[in-house]
Amino acid sequence: MSAVLTLDNLSVALKRGRGKPVPILDDVNLTVAAGEMTALVGESGSGKTVASLGIIRLLPRGAKIAGRVQLGDTDLTRLNDAEMRRVRGRDIGMVFQNPLSALNPTTRVGNQIAEVYRLHTGESDRAARARALDLLGEVGIPNPADRLDDYPHQFSGGMRQRVMIAMALACSPKLLIADEPTTGLDLLVARQILALLTRLRREHRMGVLFITHDLSIVEEHADQVHVLYAGRSVEWGRARDFFDQPRHPYSQALLGAIPRLGQTRLTSIQGNLPDPETRPPGCRFAPRCAFREAACETAYPAPDTTGGTVFACRRGREITQADTLDAVTESPPPRARTVDGTALKVDRLAVDYERTATSFLRGIVGRKDRLRALEDISFTLKHGECLGIVGQSGSGKSTLGRAVLQMIPYHGGVVFEGESFGAMKHRRRRLARRRIQVVFQDPRESLNPRMRIGDIVAEPLKLSGISGQRKRWTQAAALLDRVGLSERMLPMFPGSLSGGQAQRIAIARALATNPGIIVLDEPTSSLDVSTQALLLNLLKDLACQDGLSYMLISHDIAAVSYMADKVAVLNGGRLVEFGPAGDVLAHPRNDYTKELIAASPHFRPRAAQGGRGGADEMPVYATRTAQHETAQTKEYNP
Amino acid sequence: MSNSLSQSLAAPGGMLRRSAIERASIWIGDRGTLIAGIALSVFVLGFSLVGGLLYHASPYAVHGHHALQPPSAAFPFGTDQIGRNELARLISGGYATLIVSIPAAILTFMLGIVYGLAAALGPSWFDKVLMRLLDAILALPTLVVLIFFAALVPLNDFSLVVLLGVTSWPGLARLVRNEAIAQRGRDFVLATRQFGGGTWYVARVHILRVMAPILVVNATFLIGDSVLALSALSFLGLGVQPPHTSWGGLLQTGLNLIALNPWWMILPSGAMIFLAIMAANLLGQGLLARFGAAR
Amino acid sequence: MLRMITTRLATAILSLVILVSIVFAMTHATPGGPAYSILGQKATPAAVHELNVRLGLAAPLWKQYAIWWWHLLQGRLGYSYLLNRPVTQLVGDYMANTLALYIGAIVLSVVLSIGIGLVQGVTYGRWPAKLIGAFQLSLYALPTFFVGTIFILYFSVTLGILPTGGITDLRIENPGLLVYARHLVLPVLTVGLLGVAGLSRYFGSSVHEELGKDYVRTALAKGLTFRAVLFRHVLRNALRPLVTILGLSFPYIFAGSVLVESVFNYPGLGYLLWRSALSQDYPVISAIVLLIGVMTVLGNLLADLVNGLLDPRERFE
Repeated sequence: MSAVLTLDNLSVALKRGRGKPVPILDDVNLTVAAGEMTALVGESGSGKTVASLGIIRLLPRGAKIAGRVQLGDTDLTRLNDAEMRRVRGRDIGMVFQNPLSALNPTTRVGNQIAEVYRLHTGESDRAARARALDLLGEVGIPNPADRLDDYPHQFSGGMRQRVMIAMALACSPKLLIADEPTTGLDLLVARQILALLTRLRREHRMGVLFITHDLSIVEEHADQVHVLYAGRSVEWGRARDFFDQPRHPYSQALLGAIPRLGQTRLTSIQGNLPDPETRPPGCRFAPRCAFREAACETAYPAPDTTGGTVFACRRGREITQADTLDAVTESPPPRARTVDGTALKVDRLAVDYERTATSFLRGIVGRKDRLRALEDISFTLKHGECLGIVGQSGSGKSTLGRAVLQMIPYHGGVVFEGESFGAMKHRRRRLARRRIQVVFQDPRESLNPRMRIGDIVAEPLKLSGISGQRKRWTQAAALLDRVGLSERMLPMFPGSLSGGQAQRIAIARALATNPGIIVLDEPTSSLDVSTQALLLNLLKDLACQDGLSYMLISHDIAAVSYMADKVAVLNGGRLVEFGPAGDVLAHPRNDYTKELIAASPHFRPRAAQGGRGGADEMPVYATRTAQHETAQTKEYNP
Repeated sequence: MSNSLSQSLAAPGGMLRRSAIERASIWIGDRGTLIAGIALSVFVLGFSLVGGLLYHASPYAVHGHHALQPPSAAFPFGTDQIGRNELARLISGGYATLIVSIPAAILTFMLGIVYGLAAALGPSWFDKVLMRLLDAILALPTLVVLIFFAALVPLNDFSLVVLLGVTSWPGLARLVRNEAIAQRGRDFVLATRQFGGGTWYVARVHILRVMAPILVVNATFLIGDSVLALSALSFLGLGVQPPHTSWGGLLQTGLNLIALNPWWMILPSGAMIFLAIMAANLLGQGLLARFGAAR
Repeated sequence: MLRMITTRLATAILSLVILVSIVFAMTHATPGGPAYSILGQKATPAAVHELNVRLGLAAPLWKQYAIWWWHLLQGRLGYSYLLNRPVTQLVGDYMANTLALYIGAIVLSVVLSIGIGLVQGVTYGRWPAKLIGAFQLSLYALPTFFVGTIFILYFSVTLGILPTGGITDLRIENPGLLVYARHLVLPVLTVGLLGVAGLSRYFGSSVHEELGKDYVRTALAKGLTFRAVLFRHVLRNALRPLVTILGLSFPYIFAGSVLVESVFNYPGLGYLLWRSALSQDYPVISAIVLLIGVMTVLGNLLADLVNGLLDPRERFE
């Protein structure tokens, strides 16, 4: 295979503030072959996006690049600005994360696609428009002729990303760089985008550099894998070798941290990613590594190989994935006696939501139109159980959580510990609400930035009438200890916390009122995989100790399967499947549930993976989800 | 586990230290603005409020033989058309301006917060009513409303404070309302409500606390606006009334005699208005950057 | 699009109704009522009563409110006893001058602000932007009436190239375009600078904000030059908030023009308002207050509609 792109000791340093440039990426060597996909994988802060921007030289002012970027026969680092501009868009196509903001909101998509074609080919407007039409068809947008003059906001998330891909393909580039193109998309849609990229790269013999934080999504599609940690390559090689036998402890832990269907315990990595200014001198993973030796902390290990992948680890030859699992997976504590009885009963719940009035007269008086967000939802939740609520965005799963929390008005009944909220008096209702707690998706949003952590955690205590700050802080310290944080954090402000720490604080606060139920609304979706694993394990342990009940709301059926005793699948505001987790996951009855399960990461038999390629390239669910998407488009753009 | 986490926080060069460095660098960058604002405020306040104690010349005494004279040793800022000492008048005009502007700004501040919070935290129909009303009020320029009422009520310090106060709040009210609505929907407020935090508690502990920097910054801006509004009114002859003087009034006198080129009657009074507003704005900008960095 | 227009129109009509009511309340909130203003504070109660009956002010409040609306819809704004002319006619005479000043100043400030804002947004964080920032902050703190006075002092008194005031010259029938233009230069410049202070700062940060958005990176990754990205992609998006803020700043620009008209003795609505306030000519004051409110509401409506044209998301909402 001929290499389209070769990175030769690429290093990037960025200027932060007034100081001298801080190294973000060090000595990365990587190749992308024609028609193949190389996955560049790393958690946030690993430097993967800097790498992609370094290749096309769109780094912020004051950035320093060293090493070579070889595109075919040209070294891009030696080109002048005008020459570089001719490479961008013509030889290298870019697809970015979050297409809604990456496309110009006030320009028709057809014009945005035509613009790049005209620029590099000098063709007429008419020819460029015809090309844009062809491209929209090629990336799978239904009725492309009708959509050419639409604006980006009129497309659904997946369709927008297809538009981005069409734009990147306009000049038939040799290399496509896709920077987290599937992040923020629902799993089903993400899989379709990947399948599309795989088809396109084969048809056009185009190299793809796929940048992602999610190893599981590239498992079936990548030819090469390259793992970055804190700005350095830790392991790289053929994807098959990597997924069969990862050698670096970080790669092993990262793979073990991804929730898969049927998993019993997730691997977790302690500690945090080091900041670029404070990276350790030796192996950068050493401070968090269970197998570190004295030598690891002083010198960066030389790359080594046993015939499979290349890894930068002194002990890579001896450590197996099983060792890692033993070393960094804590065994779950014994399950406490589960309390019998029903914690929550939801009976024919329905929620309407309001939106700006469509009629003139209603607009004048400020009336709103009503739409049904949830319809006819019934289920029960026992003490000590975890109910997983799964669905795509817009399925109404968060709305269900808010209704149970009594945050929004609803029809139907919510019965908490035998008593219906509808029948409660004001004061009683307030006390009952206090015992259903919530942990939100964005941990920073859920903590008041101007309050000390001690006061945040102790706020529920204060509101339930415990007086004296000292007394409250003592209890807050105990709560922090339960979620694995030090009491030294009490006087700090949330601004200095990492996402995972902030989420622990939110959990500690939720525990303060000794709740019966905690509603977890996508608690890990803004966190890195390794942090997610830590948090899910913590939540599981807490439930085992206390007989707490959870309502875990998530788009990720695999994460839910790891936690839940029962699973409820929502689609379009209706409960399409409900039952014990084992039954639902093993024998799904509903088509939609089947699709969700098919799209989730599995433990696949190794042998079956050998057949990776043509057969599963366009999976069955692809066509069906295209229908979902058009339905969604209609829903949002009446 | 708790050990490793707290270690990574307490370790030299951990997250804490980096944020401290970042803060410092931002702070140094904007320190100039803040210091200039403080220095200028001290100067304007000192000149107007303490100046009279140090410079004893009377602003009312008429020196008939020295009418309309440019600056000299006896009269550092010259004299006006009937021979009154311009420097003394500038000081007394500053006193008259600030003694009305600052209380008026405080009144505006309180009215704006009360109205804005009432709209944001009350029932939604109440918010709609208040906001429709506010939209209509905002369509009328404050100065025009001021002129309207100034033409009708007897003008003195007290009535001017009330007048400025009750006409200037709509802008702040809208800001407070929008900001409070944004805060009201944030997750930490929802969490507090779940613990049983009532409207008043949420307003006091969460919304006002988070908004405090914005409010402080706007309070300083309000003082600048208030000085400008009073000076404009006085310039139009509808503010501080003779024989009392004010910066706006001094400027108007200069303008009336403009054919005689009395630059010493125009530049100092105008410059003082400029400096007072500049002081407030620099202070506000500096504080904004300071709070922004601390966020 | 049609729905957007109708909703905006509905809001504007509602605002106008409330506005008219507020002005009605203002005219009736004064101690003693309008009669005192017309007759002077020393009028005898009998004389006041007689005048109240004559003006319809003795009627119950709701009836007065209805009459107020009735007259308004016919375009009857009252009668100026001091100038002895119907207010509608009076306002009509001064209106054209104000519009000339207003439109000139807005065009000037928008053109200047776009230029200044582009430079500031592009060079954000470096010395040109900082210099512009300092300039804007100073301009913002400079009172219009001070700027106007200095202009007269310099251009008219010291240099003697432009007229000091307008009232006498412009009152002559058909003053001629050149005379008119000469009288407009300084007032337009003064009000225009007032507008620049706020608008350019706003536009500058808007350009800076847009430049930081992802679609800019996309456009650069297509191989466009920075200049092409700036003018083809960024400008249009950055103009949108400028239009909104322009609509919202109509009242402030008008307030500035009241002061400027009085500085230059320029015969516009602001000047009329000022003179009427000094002589307590009640019907004229309330008519102008109302008119300004109406103009602002219509200005905001216009800004909303232009925004709808600029931003497809607004249009389809």
